[in-house]
Amino acid sequence: MNEMTTLQPAVGLSPGAGDASAIPLGAGNELDAHTRRTLLQQERAIARKYTSDPKKMWPYTAITLGCFALWLAFWPLAMMDILPLWLGFVASTVFAAGGYITSHEAMHSNIGRPGTKERFWNEAVGQVATIILIFPFSMARMMHLHHHYYTNDPEKDPDYTDAAPGKYSAWYKTWLNRQPGIDGSIHHYKRILERIGTPAAKAALRDTMILQLGAMAFFFAMAWSGYAMEVALLWWLPRHIGLSYIRFWLSWAPHHPRTGTGRYDNTRVFKTWIGHYLSMGMQYHVVHHLYPEVPNHLTRYAYREMKPLLEARGVDCSALKD
Amino acid sequence: MTTAIRQLFYWMPFLFGIGFIAPLIAQMLEYWQVEAPWGLGPVMFGLLIGAPWGLYATLRGRWL
Repeated sequence: MNEMTTLQPAVGLSPGAGDASAIPLGAGNELDAHTRRTLLQQERAIARKYTSDPKKMWPYTAITLGCFALWLAFWPLAMMDILPLWLGFVASTVFAAGGYITSHEAMHSNIGRPGTKERFWNEAVGQVATIILIFPFSMARMMHLHHHYYTNDPEKDPDYTDAAPGKYSAWYKTWLNRQPGIDGSIHHYKRILERIGTPAAKAALRDTMILQLGAMAFFFAMAWSGYAMEVALLWWLPRHIGLSYIRFWLSWAPHHPRTGTGRYDNTRVFKTWIGHYLSMGMQYHVVHHLYPEVPNHLTRYAYREMKPLLEARGVDCSALKD
Repeated sequence: MTTAIRQLFYWMPFLFGIGFIAPLIAQMLEYWQVEAPWGLGPVMFGLLIGAPWGLYATLRGRWL
């Protein structure tokens, strides 16, 4: 990264606004207070343009409720041999992984702000979207917001257990962290919630217990009734694949190597061959951490406008030209 | 109550071995029309694999 950055990218957003400044300014923390304030104002102005409008977020609600209804319909259809199990398996896996994205918008109240008439749908999306993952909304929301407050803090970031030196070890860790005796993933979340100890944390623990025990009771009852293959392919395997996929792409990839804890270095800009959609928009995760109110499908566009400002702040944007 | 729930979750892998892995193995054998060894029925064979595997996961803390 360049040691020094000129003033133009920092404040000169309009083309041809001027040549490089006479006094070169350093990137990131070396910027003076006035430049930092100006950059922040420009950043916020861009973020405001892309902030979620709950009235336009209905596709998240429609997709979540539609996919959940389909997933429920898969059960009788598969049990009556109308739906091929392989097809149900593929679709359920997509629903499991994709459900986290819609739930994630609900965690940030992007589908409906508190006290508005859209709030009901925000909460409905959150409650339904991660049922396949056996991951209650109350726990998901608390832990995700905790992750935002304490990103990359080894002690306080609930997702820090996803840290791994490389992509292969990261994939392995997504599995390892779910093992019953390992303090990772949801086991780690439970421990953090116990430590927090507030009524909301206790409620999240209660919800987790109810959902986990309910799911296990369903698994056992269905399996001993002759539908173990249906459970395995419509819920058990999709959940495991979905969780690993989410952990890798939504936690490891955008935060690796998890060394930065500052506003502009707790995520990384990266490019992946699987592309924007399969990586669930995570290449632009820096925008999400700066402005969680920008919904996932708009972070790409906000990033394009913010890029000069981010570079002036010292963010390495070289991986993504647009 | 809390202790009982903790114990239930501690033994969950063992219960999972009996409650889910065992019937899954049995139904996979039947689906692919594979005979269980030693003259065992599919469910008995499933239990023979699922229960010790679940116990192993409980005691060792991981399935593999």
